Amino acid sequence: MTTQILTIARYTIIESLRNRLLLLTFLVVGISFALVEFIGDLAITEHRVTQVAILAAFLRISAVVMVTLFVVSSTVRELQDKTLEMILAMPIRRGNYYLGKLIGYFYIALLVSVIFSVLLLLYADVEQVFIWMTSLFLELILVVALSLVMLFTFNQLPSALTAVFIIYGASRIVTSIFLMAKFPIIAHTSMAQQFMDAIIELMTWLLPDLHRFTQTEWLTYNTAEWGVLLPLFGQTMVYLIFLSFIALFDFYRKNF
Amino acid sequence: MHYHHFLHKDRPVRDVPRSVKVFLILALVMQLLWHNMQEPVVARAEDLPAPLSTRTYVLSSLGEPIAASKFLNLWLQAFDNQPGASISFHQLDYHRLTQWLDTSLELDPRGHYPMLVAARVYGSVKNPEKQRIMMDYVFFKFNQDPNKYWRWLAHVIITAKHELKDYDLALKYANALAEKATGENVPYWAKDMKIIVLEDMGQVEAAKILVGALIDSKQITDPYELNFLKQKIMVLEEKLLKNRQSVEK
Repeated sequence: MTTQILTIARYTIIESLRNRLLLLTFLVVGISFALVEFIGDLAITEHRVTQVAILAAFLRISAVVMVTLFVVSSTVRELQDKTLEMILAMPIRRGNYYLGKLIGYFYIALLVSVIFSVLLLLYADVEQVFIWMTSLFLELILVVALSLVMLFTFNQLPSALTAVFIIYGASRIVTSIFLMAKFPIIAHTSMAQQFMDAIIELMTWLLPDLHRFTQTEWLTYNTAEWGVLLPLFGQTMVYLIFLSFIALFDFYRKNF
Repeated sequence: MHYHHFLHKDRPVRDVPRSVKVFLILALVMQLLWHNMQEPVVARAEDLPAPLSTRTYVLSSLGEPIAASKFLNLWLQAFDNQPGASISFHQLDYHRLTQWLDTSLELDPRGHYPMLVAARVYGSVKNPEKQRIMMDYVFFKFNQDPNKYWRWLAHVIITAKHELKDYDLALKYANALAEKATGENVPYWAKDMKIIVLEDMGQVEAAKILVGALIDSKQITDPYELNFLKQKIMVLEEKLLKNRQSVEK
């Protein structure tokens, strides 16, 4: 069983390397470096803080977009090329296939996190960069699982990508929206407003707390300690299990 | 020739039907003509709009307030350089400008960028009215957190003294600096600014009393600082003597 999972993971990694994902990662690093040096020329004070803040935000969103695009497009190709059907025709359990893909994508997420963080070492404190990198990796783990769920649900590239980006964006801002709804300037009295408030509150219960992950503040003002990773790790594990079982639920029901 | 498809992925250009080639060129010409028929784009300098709420920037940056603040700083700083047109800092609405600086500070309360541009960039235009708006802004922020923003008020004191030649205003700020910025991070030279302003205003006696009080307060322990203040008393006494002699003559 373990051999099967590891073989699938290995081929997922090989595929990513042949898809020139690594080259793309270095390209993003190069573009980010040029961008941040240009920004450094513009800033008249807080030179380093300005560079780090914009670089970290840019790298974070780039990592999420790259990993999502890779996971979704690679899995869609397997569905359309009938590779998945061929694999499932062999004595392999669907759960093992899913786990193998997940481990392969985690490795890619780790690779992207490490490469992006190396650039940050030029501008920020080493310990803070390591904390930021670990948090980015945990965030990407959730993005990988979410991408697989959306793909198994929608089967189509555009709808799966749209759903991933909407849910990811919502997870990052849902707390701010919730606070706005909870403490409005004018009290919410109508039924429609109260209904919307309830929906927003429900979203805070169902979505992961991504606003706590990979904070730029850690790098700009050196505020993070290793302890901040503990709740992030907990949230990642809980939500990864939740997403995995949604994915498996859909995957086991699928007819090929 | 027969081996062409082994060497090249694509077929040669001559395999493309003549009509397709003709229509391609025609379509390109049409695009160029279309562009030529459009009205030329004229650069128009825009006024500084009012900032949106802090929450809007937090949401639109996907919860990255610090990055949003830094980006807004750079955008605001470059506002006088719009594509194809340039407006000077004089033309900016300074009251609106302070709203932007506030927004940036709310997004990143630890940042000092907005205070620096208020004191040094927008506060150094050759327009006393606009300079005063910026000085008021810095003073207002200083009063909110004196130990954090003391250095920007020190800048403003220099601007008031040397550029506006408004000694009363400089003294008002220097008084506030001496009284409110009491943190350990505030150096004595900042608190001493009151002495310099008083001296420049010709109130040598008052300056001397202040220096004496500072020494007596035992707050100053640094020997160099004490030495400097003692020398200052001597200089002030000399000045006082000269003043008296000139009055007697």
